[in-house]
Amino acid sequence: MDLFLLREQFTKDGILMCFNGPFSHSIIEEMGTAIKNHLAAENIARMAVQDVFAVYIEMTQNARNYLTRNQIPIEDTGSATILIAKHGDCYAVASGNVILKADVEKLVSRIDRINAFDADALKKAIRQQLRCDVLPGEGAGIGLMEMAKRSPAKLEYSLRDIDDRYAFFTLKTLIRRAS
Amino acid sequence: MRTLDIEQSASTPRIIFQPDERVLLIRGESYPENSFEFYAPVAGWLKEYLAGESTLNLDINVSYLNSSSTKCMLDLLDILEEAHCKGARISLVWRYDQENPRSLDLAQEFQEEVTLPFAIRSYQEEQS
Repeated sequence: MDLFLLREQFTKDGILMCFNGPFSHSIIEEMGTAIKNHLAAENIARMAVQDVFAVYIEMTQNARNYLTRNQIPIEDTGSATILIAKHGDCYAVASGNVILKADVEKLVSRIDRINAFDADALKKAIRQQLRCDVLPGEGAGIGLMEMAKRSPAKLEYSLRDIDDRYAFFTLKTLIRRAS
Repeated sequence: MRTLDIEQSASTPRIIFQPDERVLLIRGESYPENSFEFYAPVAGWLKEYLAGESTLNLDINVSYLNSSSTKCMLDLLDILEEAHCKGARISLVWRYDQENPRSLDLAQEFQEEVTLPFAIRSYQEEQS
């Protein structure tokens, strides 16, 4: 294992934090606190600190809820990769996790729909979603919209085939560092 | 009258009822593992309280709510709004950080959802 190479890669990509493995609510909480403290010490707008934190929370909770709800086994697939990096004048917040191939189409069309909204339409859609009865654990919609609301760019995603049952889903959001 | 006192954690706010002033305080950040589970006892307490009492002042200072907590907060506001419409004396103060435009947006979005007395105050004006 070459930590020097890993470190070079991290530096090249501006990676501030990267987590890979099975994760729990308390890990989400601990890392979130660390991210917030780290960003608060940087000279950036308070809104940016909160936006990075908010996107991080929605992403990790979405991933965790999904993996738990679908009982994806921790040993092989039930973990996630979470990353925060500096990208020019933005922070990138990204997460990757395994999803069932059967869910790909629904998820992709949901993101495409959100990306097509302008700011006003997005605000309306969030309000509408908050007002309709969602069963616990069936959220995701509002979480994705919350990410889009805070980002100057569209939600970026990619999918990679793993096997007949699973695909690997990556989601990335950008947050502007200055307000 | 049943008491309500929930300790604060990193991902859940302090929630306490102060019977002398009839104030329900909510302080902290809210992104619990399960928001619906966390807020269910608060909603239960509110309904029970408002069935017997007609005055309640809310003092809310929540700097961050995740999406499911936002939904739960809206459910609490609906309970208050219903009591208000039936003649209860409900008032609410929502505190926000002027340096963070998102926290004002959040306050205003909640304010738009109800007709009960809903004041929005910044930390900064409290201090001056």
